[in-house]
Amino acid sequence: MRAHQGIAFRTAYLVAGNASDAEDAAQDGFVKAYRALGRFRAGSPFRPWLLQIVANEARNRRRSSGRRAALSLRAAAEESSGDAAPSPEGALLAGEDRERLLAAVNGLREEERLVIACRFFLELSEEETAAALDLRLGTVKSRTSRALEHLREAYA
Amino acid sequence: MPELEAALTRLGRDVEFPPTPDLASVLRGRLERPRSWRRPAAIALALLVVAIGAVLAVPPARTAILDWLGLRNVSVVRVDELPPARPLSRLDLGRQVSLAEARRRAPWLLVPDDKPASVYVSNSLPGGTVTLLWGTPSHVQLLLTEVEGMVYIEKIVQTGAEVEPVDIGRAGAWFQGRHVVMFSDRNGTFHENRGRLAASTLVWQVGDVTLRLEGRISKEEALRIGRTASN
Repeated sequence: MRAHQGIAFRTAYLVAGNASDAEDAAQDGFVKAYRALGRFRAGSPFRPWLLQIVANEARNRRRSSGRRAALSLRAAAEESSGDAAPSPEGALLAGEDRERLLAAVNGLREEERLVIACRFFLELSEEETAAALDLRLGTVKSRTSRALEHLREAYA
Repeated sequence: MPELEAALTRLGRDVEFPPTPDLASVLRGRLERPRSWRRPAAIALALLVVAIGAVLAVPPARTAILDWLGLRNVSVVRVDELPPARPLSRLDLGRQVSLAEARRRAPWLLVPDDKPASVYVSNSLPGGTVTLLWGTPSHVQLLLTEVEGMVYIEKIVQTGAEVEPVDIGRAGAWFQGRHVVMFSDRNGTFHENRGRLAASTLVWQVGDVTLRLEGRISKEEALRIGRTASN
């Protein structure tokens, strides 16, 4: 479970919007997943199934709690580019640009922000994103491309 | 535009998330309520992380406990309540073949002196599974399942159930009473449709082959049959 607790917790955090709800959601989600283990379908990947259960717990908590925090950059990340010669990719997105891009993500509508955060920040697959956000695969695809479009407009 | 997507992915590595709490230890408390253990085996079992972790990863706890039992590919999870599972009588054992055919497909196969009534092979697990059956599929008396290689067998047992290390010429373990058995590969993918309810079971390992003998039999009887299994 240690292999999955990080991704499960971060998914719950995105959906619930705060750490304490996320922790409760991840815990309850794991217990529920455990109890439902016997109904798990053979051969299917485990992670989407687990994320679905955990994210669902997070959504239930979300409804009763307040506004979620905006995502921010790690403090250490500000300095990381100085550690080594920046890669060409890294150079494309240094300092201020990252702040601007993250601000653009935070400025998206909630449903688009979640899709972007799941797909790119947590690096979930489209299937996992669909499971976590309780969406159809097609919706994930279309919402992702719409969100990217909005980001391009905002970031340009 | 792939550039933007790549930029978002890189950005994601710098996004701040609260540190992940240690869910495993909290859950262990919620899923297990340790009692006073009568046997050393039970103490060792109580150390195990929750079922999901045991199935999905190879945490240090797994290694510790299995080394103790002498069984690398078997793990035991102790819980208050067994998860839902189907009974033994509705098994998909695979394709029925002759014993000779099974030996051809699985040269590592070990067969007890008492010859089975029927033999099944299945590719539901990597490396394949051979099942020897005594009785009939609808009235199973005894079932010997053999798998080779890195396949993990999960045993989910209820708190208080007895698990006992036994000597079967090699290290083995005896599971008294009902429990749930699941098979998973190294990546944690389950290879049975769902957990299955198992009767008393003897599990042991010969080289890379893991054997589980299951049925309504006594421990002594299981040991006697198990000891005769040879290639």
